Amino acid sequence: MHQLSLTTVLLLLFGFYALSFLMTLKIGQKKESADGYMTSNGAIGFGMSASSMTATWVWAASIYAAASSGYKYGLSGAIHYGFWGALMILFIYPFGRRFREVAPNAHTLAEIMHARHGRCSQMMLALSNVLGSIISLMVNFTAAGALVSMLSPLSFLQGVLVAAVGVLSYTLWSGFRASVLTDSVQLLAMILAAVIIIPFMFFALGGPSLFVEGWHRLDVEQANFFSKNALLEQGAPFFIAVLAYAIGNQTIAQRLFAVREDLIKRTFITATIGYGSIVIGLGMLGFLALLGGISPSDGDLNNLVPQMAATYLPPALLCLFFILIIGSLSSTADSDLSALSSIMMTDIYGKNLARGKPNPTLMIWIGRITMIVVTALGVAFAYLRLDILSMLVFVGALWGAIVFPVIVSLYWDRVSNLAFTTSVLAAFLVFLLVRFDVVPLTGWLGGVLEIFGSVGAGVVFGLMAFGFFGKRVGLLVGLIGTVAVLPWAWQQMRDYQVLLSSLLAYGVSAVVCAGVSLFNRERFDFDVIGERVTNFQSATL
Amino acid sequence: MSSFLLSAYILVWPILAAGVLLVLTHGVWKDVVDARREGESLV
Repeated sequence: MHQLSLTTVLLLLFGFYALSFLMTLKIGQKKESADGYMTSNGAIGFGMSASSMTATWVWAASIYAAASSGYKYGLSGAIHYGFWGALMILFIYPFGRRFREVAPNAHTLAEIMHARHGRCSQMMLALSNVLGSIISLMVNFTAAGALVSMLSPLSFLQGVLVAAVGVLSYTLWSGFRASVLTDSVQLLAMILAAVIIIPFMFFALGGPSLFVEGWHRLDVEQANFFSKNALLEQGAPFFIAVLAYAIGNQTIAQRLFAVREDLIKRTFITATIGYGSIVIGLGMLGFLALLGGISPSDGDLNNLVPQMAATYLPPALLCLFFILIIGSLSSTADSDLSALSSIMMTDIYGKNLARGKPNPTLMIWIGRITMIVVTALGVAFAYLRLDILSMLVFVGALWGAIVFPVIVSLYWDRVSNLAFTTSVLAAFLVFLLVRFDVVPLTGWLGGVLEIFGSVGAGVVFGLMAFGFFGKRVGLLVGLIGTVAVLPWAWQQMRDYQVLLSSLLAYGVSAVVCAGVSLFNRERFDFDVIGERVTNFQSATL
Repeated sequence: MSSFLLSAYILVWPILAAGVLLVLTHGVWKDVVDARREGESLV
């Protein structure tokens, strides 16, 4: 395996972060606007917004995990990661339009929930995002440390620290605006790297003859494009997790609130294709590794892609690969910093601590201090080095409990705060009990859970159909989906614990939320949300 | 499955990514030009 010299890796790292920092000087303002710090001007153009959306979704973990999936599940493995991940981007845009319609001046989704239901639901969404974004930061810093320690003489800790300080340096002053600006350049570099590296690696491993020479290394499931194992162990749980991620995650909502309203659809479709092509393409490296008989070093699948790069790429392309990974993790990490600062500024300070009189200048400093604190936390947690894919599924399922109540709250005027809160808590509790083996998945209890899991599958299908085709089609698809899944799920879904627990988060929250709402006689006026969610800067002028 | 089809299955993704690269490069450039023309900040 090749390694980059100390001088080369330092030049790459400092060059990358210095360039990002210099770019942000162009947009830096001595007195930043609090709203601009969180969502820019709400009218970002197509190129910048689509680049930023894509860059935020493509993180180092998605590249490593897609390749791991390709290695583990063979022919369809990369598809079962990248395709579903891409689909989630498409899934959110009809709901995104609704979010913008009811609250054109929103900064966070939790802020909209505050206007709709009050503090309890707002805090659920806000705190789940704090947890999710800190985990994301940790994962990205871990990826930086692992990459640097594998490809250079620097240590894991040194890699983590350089990435953390680098990302913080260019994001701290201008917040979200800096994140979007740097995302565009970082993404263009990342795509260029992917476009060159994927074919190069393919031909370096033998090109078309690799399929002839290496096909015997695949088992029956790995050689089957319609592999049941790949679908049930990787595709389906990930699909369900990322759908929740698309709705619940502030990094995505923030871009949604920032893009010019008439460009939402175009932006999301481009980001869908961009994410899919990059992540599936890089995920194919795992499939190629399987065909080539390559074993991941130390048995860790996260090492697979860097290890292949170090083995097969010449020095110039190895530098390009290094930039690809650093770009992917930095663009997501700066989005996490912006998301966390917005939540602290809006949901903790603006809507609660400020008692109706937020000070925009103080708000910005709260955002900046938040960035420093969470960066330190991300670095500290990076030492844990947990399994990336499992964490992604866990965080996604956490948001799975929130998805249905959040969406229906913005369409159905009968949903109350009680319905929202009880449904999320019940769903999350059931998820934990099943996911962590607290309850036995046997007997009548296993059957009941499988029924709720089938409802969860129906909810997922129904929500997707609802977003694009409206209420009637959504309800019909949800019902058909539940009935279609139930015969398969009965006595079988319990064997796929990750899938069952994720579906339960959807199923239980939907049943409880709908049930409690049906007993509510009060009606909510959605126009109130727009009146309650306003710009902080203009409100104080 | 033939080696040709499998090779196409691997290589179609970078080709697709190259297409997205062109679209985004044009989009970012247009945003920059529009912002300059209107005298507004890009973000």
